Amino acid sequence: MNSPAASAPTPSFLERNDFLIRRLHSLSGLVPVGAYMCVHLITNASLLGGASVFQNNVFTIHSLPFLPLIEWVFIFSPIIFHAVVGIWIAKSGRSNLQNYRLTGNRRYTWQRMTGYIAIIFIFTHVFHLHGWFHSDWWLKSVAEPMGMAQFRPYNAASSLANAMNSLGVVWPIFYAIGVLACTFHLANGIWTAGITWGVWLTPKSQNRASIACALFGVLIGMAGLSSLVAVKTTDAKAAEVIENEMYKSRIDAHTITPDDHKRSGTHESVEVKPVPVQ
Amino acid sequence: MIAPGNEATTKRRPAKINVRILRQDGPGLPGYWERHQVDYEPDMNVISVLQKVAAQAKTSEGQKVPPVAWDCGCLEEVCGSCTMVINGRVRQSCSALVDRLLEDDANEIELRPMTKFPVVRDLMVDRSRLFRSLQRVKAWVPVDGYYDMGAGPRISREEQEQNYPLSQCMSCGCCLEACPQFNKIEIQRQPGETNEDYAARKNAAFDQGFVGPHAISQAMLFNSHPVGKNMASERMEALTATGGVQACGNAQNCVAVCPKEIPLTTSIARAGRAATVYSIKKIFDR
Amino acid sequence: MGSNRVLVVGGGLAGLSAAMKLAELGVPVDLLSLTPVKRSHSVCAQGGINSVSDLTRQDGDDEWKHFDDTIYGGDFLQNQPPVKEMAYWAPKVIDLMDRLGVTFNRTPEGFIDRRRFGGTLYKRTAFAGATTGQQLLYALDEQVRRRESEGLITKYEFWDFLGPILDDNGRCIGATAQDMVTMQIRSFPADAVIVATGGNGLLYGRSTMSVFCTGSAASRCFQAGAKMGNPEFIQVHPTAIPGADKLRLMSESARGEGGRVWVPRKPADPREPKSIPESERYYFLESRFPKYGNLVPRDIATREIFNICVNEGLSVDPTRMSVYLDLTHIPRAELDRKLGGILEIYEKFQGVDPRDEPMKIFPAVHYSMGGLWVDYEANADGGLLPGSPKNQSTNIPGLYALGECDYQYHGANRLGANSLLSCIFSGLFVGPGIVNWMKGNKAASDLPKSLFESAVNVQEARHKKLLSNVSGDENPYLIHQELGDVMTRAATVVRDNQQLTEAFDKVSQLKERAAKCALSDSGNWTNQNVIFTKAVQDMFPAAMCILKGALHRDESRGAHFKPAFSQPSLVATDPSERRLEAERWCDAFEENNSKFLKSTICTWNGNEPDLTYEAIDTRLLAPRPRLYGLVGAEVIEQVWKERSAAKAKKAESGKEQLVNS
Repeated sequence: MNSPAASAPTPSFLERNDFLIRRLHSLSGLVPVGAYMCVHLITNASLLGGASVFQNNVFTIHSLPFLPLIEWVFIFSPIIFHAVVGIWIAKSGRSNLQNYRLTGNRRYTWQRMTGYIAIIFIFTHVFHLHGWFHSDWWLKSVAEPMGMAQFRPYNAASSLANAMNSLGVVWPIFYAIGVLACTFHLANGIWTAGITWGVWLTPKSQNRASIACALFGVLIGMAGLSSLVAVKTTDAKAAEVIENEMYKSRIDAHTITPDDHKRSGTHESVEVKPVPVQ
Repeated sequence: MIAPGNEATTKRRPAKINVRILRQDGPGLPGYWERHQVDYEPDMNVISVLQKVAAQAKTSEGQKVPPVAWDCGCLEEVCGSCTMVINGRVRQSCSALVDRLLEDDANEIELRPMTKFPVVRDLMVDRSRLFRSLQRVKAWVPVDGYYDMGAGPRISREEQEQNYPLSQCMSCGCCLEACPQFNKIEIQRQPGETNEDYAARKNAAFDQGFVGPHAISQAMLFNSHPVGKNMASERMEALTATGGVQACGNAQNCVAVCPKEIPLTTSIARAGRAATVYSIKKIFDR
Repeated sequence: MGSNRVLVVGGGLAGLSAAMKLAELGVPVDLLSLTPVKRSHSVCAQGGINSVSDLTRQDGDDEWKHFDDTIYGGDFLQNQPPVKEMAYWAPKVIDLMDRLGVTFNRTPEGFIDRRRFGGTLYKRTAFAGATTGQQLLYALDEQVRRRESEGLITKYEFWDFLGPILDDNGRCIGATAQDMVTMQIRSFPADAVIVATGGNGLLYGRSTMSVFCTGSAASRCFQAGAKMGNPEFIQVHPTAIPGADKLRLMSESARGEGGRVWVPRKPADPREPKSIPESERYYFLESRFPKYGNLVPRDIATREIFNICVNEGLSVDPTRMSVYLDLTHIPRAELDRKLGGILEIYEKFQGVDPRDEPMKIFPAVHYSMGGLWVDYEANADGGLLPGSPKNQSTNIPGLYALGECDYQYHGANRLGANSLLSCIFSGLFVGPGIVNWMKGNKAASDLPKSLFESAVNVQEARHKKLLSNVSGDENPYLIHQELGDVMTRAATVVRDNQQLTEAFDKVSQLKERAAKCALSDSGNWTNQNVIFTKAVQDMFPAAMCILKGALHRDESRGAHFKPAFSQPSLVATDPSERRLEAERWCDAFEENNSKFLKSTICTWNGNEPDLTYEAIDTRLLAPRPRLYGLVGAEVIEQVWKERSAAKAKKAESGKEQLVNS
């Protein structure tokens, strides 16, 4: 059975490292991407507690040092990796749901469909609120004119509310679909990861895990949707006042450095005393 | 049970059965549908329908045609020969009872060859890849030899009850047909190619594809045998190579269509766990 | 012996074990099969495989008793040395299969569990659920795959064996075969050819056998000059599920695990079986054979079931003859563990759960005890001489036959769970003999090519002739059906000379008609039509052997039952009268043995089989009446015991006289 090596098609890099890549894909979906998603959705849900609670959370995140680096290393790159490999994996299979209408098969197909939706959603969402790149030129002459890059961390709730309400119900619906797709993808992904890594083995334990994952999905999905409701009910004007006050006091307390990029453009810049160096 | 005669009258069955068959004259040729009509009899299965089709060798329009080619063996669902796609779903044609198929669609039974294997002719496909997978995962116990060396290792009833279902796999290919991650690999014979060269070229191509749930399950069977275990790392190497267990997409169709109800997804999860341990060990044991 | 090769035809238990053993001995093997070897008919074997075990030994069992049971069960029609060797090897065979990973059922402590089977009083049968044949076959298939990946075995699957190739001295130097996909015909030069191609149940149309059990390979050897032995002995299994395309086996293990056969005492009782009280049920096997009960040998059980339905009119189903096989008194969990596989088959094909309701079963053609005649060489102990090239050799030197297609082990009736044993045993045992055979001969690959080319030409001519036979008007499928009907009517449970003569004529006519088959497919790609037609044509010589062998055997022995030549049962009630009757019975028994305790040997003369008879090697066990403790026949056993004791005494004193003089 020593097949002539010459006649064998040379496997691609992806094929040769199939196992490692797929396991990294599985892992990246849980940590950091999945974990980040949970934190993100829960933070968003804090908007239910009012603009100030939300703004406080955002300040906390933005007080992290080297935030762009963190974003790229722990969020953007893993998402891009997960997305690219995910597309490759999805393309390696062929759904046959029309002939085999089985629960597992539905989930298999949905996992791939929600993956595609999630890619579109996340890239659009990041463009819509974040703008993709921090470069001034990009933001001022490309993103913002397109109605993108709308989020201002130091006017978190108000800028969010404005951004979400800019096209009537279009954005909220888009976000609802996106959030639900991501939620399904994560909850089902945890379940399949449990099989992939060999955590739950038997049909019985897989069933139990399935129920647990479904519960988790419902919770996360509710968090996501509730923040959309909160955004819809936020009074942007009132929120902005509160945010500006919070900004001032934070500057005064030296817990943040002034940054106009992170504020809505309509305000005058606030004078700050230089931070005393210890 | 009611006698077959009574059953037929109580359920009022048609006098004739229409069968639509997807035929193909040879590898690489286009497929075409053909209609046949056979007399209904009580207690028929798809095999007896096909036997009648072969004996008639005539379409329902009365046109003389070569008999439909298909594969079958034991007719009691233990040999694995007669797998085909019946009314859209893969199964053994021997245990596909006509009365039940007519409940899906009273007008017609639809037969087509498996789609994941190259068609040889009509309903016959080339399933050599399935057996190649068993070779890839070294699905055997590496005994010293066949001389008398006394009894084998003691095995608990519990172990036997775990392994017996796995060893019932009859290599029918249902799991592969239903698996969305298992795709067809068709290598056509080149003119003048010897059987050996052709087989070698096929195997080389097969080895890049997904091994399939049946082979993963066999690997787990032999990895849990006290002597089979001696080759566990070789099997894990195969299961973590290209087309290994990682190619599984967890659609779990395999376990749903398996005629022997083998816990294939449990085997896959066990293989996943073993692969986790194996690959971590491999990193640190280097 | 670098260039020596062996061709193994058939990939069931016998073929695979032979291939595996030869590969271990370093011999390259070409393994040829109609079907992927993993799908061979051995998968259908359900119940188990027999051997003495440490446990039965302590109940008084030993290899000799296994040997005795087998010979007694076969009504003394076997040459005894091969059977003795097999019985003594049996524990080793099971040990080996155990080592190969067969998932035998286990006792709670982890030993191989055993069940009781027909024709014995000991629990000798090792089993893997109710799919023992499948499990054994897979273990061998795995080893063959292992040897295949090492390069010692080359498989040719979907190849049809067309016949042996003989050189000018009549030695077998290979075979011709046809690729069933490409239709290419080629020769396989080989220094020995093993035919392990199983039974010929398809002669009967529907049987318990797989569709490829046409017996054509054995028939092709027969037509090439190999002798056929005892072809008339066809086992009709007592318990099968009637079906339109096949009669599906319901294993003897169902009775081995406590299943009971019964019919309502009242003819055509319309009540549901479960509502019929014990007192109105007739457990006819248990009441007639209290010692063996439901586990009498198959030929007896079959005749009893047949009799109860046909002659006593007690069939449980007015439209389809059948009796109840009842498992409903056994706990479900136990049934699932030990019989799961077969109960699922019943459930799947009949739509009734046999755990809740008694099964309806009826006898069906199951096994061919007869087959290609094979030789053996005995050792001083009356077993086989290991390594002798004669063992398993047909009368064509270099052509070996193993498994169901040989005639060697089962005599006039095979005991349940002995077939798997005979297949694996003969496969393992034949290897060293073949190695020795090859040592003395010029390698087949060095022989002139013309020998092989002319053999291929003959086969190509046959093939082409069939394809171009447009003028014919016979349909091979319908001819096969007719053959099956004739054979089933004349040569199964009850045989009658008038019927056999008529059947022989009818089969001769069918044979002529089969020569005129027109093919509906004249193409040269995966032409199943032509492969089947050839198989049908080659069924006739075998069918004629069965009919002619049966016609000329005017006695009843094992599976061959001729009421006209059966010994009547005792009728006298007066003890002394009855005693006299038993004496006469025993006289007649002895006289019959002197006439018919012989193997039927068939040779092919080109048109039909010629019969001769060959003495049986009974060097170890003297024949005795085979009664299995039948109620009312005790006195016969008594008389016979006294006679044998007297004979033994005489022989003893004769020996003494010889020593004294």
